[in-house]
Amino acid sequence: MISLLENAIPLFSIVIISYIFGGLFSLLFRKYGNGKPFFIPSIIGSIFLITLSLNIIIDGGSVHIELNPGTVFSINEFLIDGIAAFFLLLIGIVSLSVSTYSLSYIREYIDNKHVAVFGFFFNTFILSMVFLISSNDVFSFIVFWELMSITSFFLVIYNHESDHNLKAGIIYLIMTNMGTALILASLLLLSSHVGSFSFESFRLSSDSFSTSLKNIVFILAFIGFGTKAGIVPLHIWLPYAHPSAPSNVSALMSAIMIKTAIYGLIRIIYDFSGIGSSAINNSDFVWWGLLFVTIGAISSVVGVLHGVVEKDIKRALAYSSIENIGIIFIGLGLSLVFLSFNLVYLSAFAMLAAMYHLLNHAIFKSLLFMGAGAIIFRTHTANMEKLGGLIKKMPWTALLFLVGVLSISGLPFFNGFVSEYLLMISFISSSQVPNIIITVSIGFASVAFALTLGIVLATFVKIFGISFLSKPRTDIVYKIKEVPRTMLVGMGIVALACIILGLFPTIGMSMISHALNLQLSLNQTLFSFSSILPESGLDNGSSGLSLPVVLLIFVSILVATIGFLYGVGGRTEQKISETWSCGLGNINERMQYTPSSLSHPILHVFRNFYRPSLVIQSIPHYSSNPYFKKSVKIQFSDKNIIEDFMYKPILSNVFKTCERMKKFRTGKVNLYLLNVLITIMLLLTYVRLSP
Amino acid sequence: MSTEISAYPSSVLVGFIQFLIIIVLAPLLTGIMRRIKAITQKRIGSSIFQTYFDLLKLIRKDEVISEESSWIFRYSPWIIFSATLVVAFFIPILIPYPPFGLGFDIILLLGLFGLCRFFLMLAGLDVSSAFGGIGVSREMMTSSLLEPALFLVLFTLAVTYGSTNIYTIVSHAAEGSMMISASILFSLFGFFIIVMAETGKLPFDNPATHLELTMVHEAMVLEYSGKRLAVIELSQSIKQLVLMILFINFFIPWGLSTNFSPATMIGGLGIFLTKIITLGVLISYIESKVAKWRLFRIPDLIFLCMASGLMGMIFLYI
Repeated sequence: MISLLENAIPLFSIVIISYIFGGLFSLLFRKYGNGKPFFIPSIIGSIFLITLSLNIIIDGGSVHIELNPGTVFSINEFLIDGIAAFFLLLIGIVSLSVSTYSLSYIREYIDNKHVAVFGFFFNTFILSMVFLISSNDVFSFIVFWELMSITSFFLVIYNHESDHNLKAGIIYLIMTNMGTALILASLLLLSSHVGSFSFESFRLSSDSFSTSLKNIVFILAFIGFGTKAGIVPLHIWLPYAHPSAPSNVSALMSAIMIKTAIYGLIRIIYDFSGIGSSAINNSDFVWWGLLFVTIGAISSVVGVLHGVVEKDIKRALAYSSIENIGIIFIGLGLSLVFLSFNLVYLSAFAMLAAMYHLLNHAIFKSLLFMGAGAIIFRTHTANMEKLGGLIKKMPWTALLFLVGVLSISGLPFFNGFVSEYLLMISFISSSQVPNIIITVSIGFASVAFALTLGIVLATFVKIFGISFLSKPRTDIVYKIKEVPRTMLVGMGIVALACIILGLFPTIGMSMISHALNLQLSLNQTLFSFSSILPESGLDNGSSGLSLPVVLLIFVSILVATIGFLYGVGGRTEQKISETWSCGLGNINERMQYTPSSLSHPILHVFRNFYRPSLVIQSIPHYSSNPYFKKSVKIQFSDKNIIEDFMYKPILSNVFKTCERMKKFRTGKVNLYLLNVLITIMLLLTYVRLSP
Repeated sequence: MSTEISAYPSSVLVGFIQFLIIIVLAPLLTGIMRRIKAITQKRIGSSIFQTYFDLLKLIRKDEVISEESSWIFRYSPWIIFSATLVVAFFIPILIPYPPFGLGFDIILLLGLFGLCRFFLMLAGLDVSSAFGGIGVSREMMTSSLLEPALFLVLFTLAVTYGSTNIYTIVSHAAEGSMMISASILFSLFGFFIIVMAETGKLPFDNPATHLELTMVHEAMVLEYSGKRLAVIELSQSIKQLVLMILFINFFIPWGLSTNFSPATMIGGLGIFLTKIITLGVLISYIESKVAKWRLFRIPDLIFLCMASGLMGMIFLYI
């Protein structure tokens, strides 16, 4: 469909040119001392990207861009439809705020790094994602997918001086390439069946694919994209890569890069395999949805359990990304399950919930990573054991971080609440699925979901409470001051989005249902959404619940209470004094709870998951008397069950096999020739014997 | 029967009366429950109106604020109190209809209680004393486990009564003459444990002591004094009352008035008071019969509650 938007193509070119210019400019002017100008093109590009995608979403059409034939590498067409525009909008918002933030954040590296290299990869990374989302054939999709992976790899190892970061980069590269291989396989399977690389041809012939082909393609794509998205058990690169990367890159990776995997899955499942069309038997695909729900539930619980005991802020946030991807998968899975029982409205509703959560996660996770970056920018540590009391030194960062924390914890008036509300409604609506086993298993998933929400609250109370509140735990904190203004503005953009999407959910909901063409009859007034169990027909939201009204009630009660208390009790004095310490005198920072001790009860409850081990070694002064101790050494460790019980055995087996293979590598040419001969003989026999 | 009762003056009046009843009744209920506990322990105990005097005393007192604390500590009590009162604003006690024409969702209720808990925990950490840490770390454990249990109960109720809107649930529950089904019974059991846990009753927490071994809620609010302490105490009472009202409304809703005539409404109020005081007496009696559990045994009880909620959900489908 050719869009009515005449200005779409020039807009798209401006976006592309801005990012390319940003990348090249960085390289050409690499001697230029402060790194600021490298991010200005990407800010401009992001603004145009937001304009373009909003235009397409509101217009409802799609933009087909064809370059002159014979351009480089035969990449000559792009398609931006509603879904792509939604994801481009995400990229636009996040990269706008992250680029603004980076203007000052880059100072962290100016002294001992080539910031030009950073500028180049930063711009190319965003550019590759823009191209990836808008690509319309297998070839360009894979090229830009790889470009995205490689640029992000170089950004992850930007601090390559530390071995730890290099290791993180290698793990990331290996995992992401394995994923790419599977994605390539699944796309090539489709194209070999169709005989064309174009996505358009996949769409046209989706009805002709056999069920088994669809199943194979689905499994390959699920594992391939799942690796990038970071679902358990393919998530292991994530907690390494995010903390190693500079914080602005972590924000981009966590907020939008892992979402491109979701985009790929949606394309393959909803677009190419023709799920939901009346021509096929949808109930064959119910296990797709169940797989999504199961893996999503496992990911969310495992992610959040790892996150809550973590001491490093960025690692905790990385685990939280795994958890949120799990939640998005649950939403997608519910949507697929409903679809396979032809509950179309419910399916669209669950899809809306998943996409709303995806949008929210992009926004609040980039905010939180930028907040963590602000902490690192000033204190040069991400270890919470060393922080504390930052709220007094960095009040604005604290406030913005608090907005992110409130959003991710799913508390009312902030955006996380809306998507979690929608997901809970989807869960409750699962009672309409006419299969008891499936409803009960979805019920179990809902327990996992609710448990996740409970622990997320604890995780973020810990992160905020330990790093921003209470007494500083080390001296670093005393010397710092607030971060530069551009960083605050960068965080402020997404914080504002958190509040808007939280207070006026209808904006986000109508945008998503418009973009994804969900056909939801959201028959509510603007700014309100009602409690509905869609399709049950019992209550169609006769009494709408409106969050701004609730906020209004909240604020008026607040004012009335304060007024009442001061009216009745009169004006009383406030005395500032030290914290009560049982009369012990001045309290010091070592008396406070540490992050590890704060989450210890949770670790104890789930000890089967963490497998904690405590080793106490005490060396006495005299061997005859154990009570006079010279020193006591306490070692506390917990296990990462997935790495220890899944990846380590696989790796050790691979190494063993390699050891055995060594025997064949003797260095004698004769033996190699013999090997070649035997192989050829075997192949010839096979060719002869096969029919 | 339609739930389309629009907001007209008398219903708005009823709404405000309900709201006031909750605020005024909450300290009284706490007083009654303390008195019952005292009597079962063979003490005389203080007057049931003592809680009002305590609140009044606290409001008039000067405050001490920790020098380590930030604005989080100062503003948390107001946020906690307002969030609790927003819940109280919407809870039906006389009529199962939205008095202001606004719906209220049980998931929003979960969220608002989460908001209270969030700021309470932050305030506990803000003062940088070890007591705050103790309370917060324990609260983190219990609350993160209680969340799924509560969600399961609400799940069962929402599916049984066909909505997540509290007024629809209550009015449907009140219409059904005898809603005794296995799933509702299991949910009842689960919700009862949740009420005990959320209000800091004995096997979970003992708010009457200031002994660090048993403290959960008290440890977090240890640094508060004066007006802010009064606000926190009152919001705790209101939260307790709200949870008990929810218990009554969900599981024993009979006797709610179905129209706006003053006579039936006063009768309904009488029945409501009888029910709530009976429940209060029951809870205090149970509390005086159990000992404080070791901290790490508490999750067992919550898992029992979760299992019960899960059974409720499974029986829903079978």
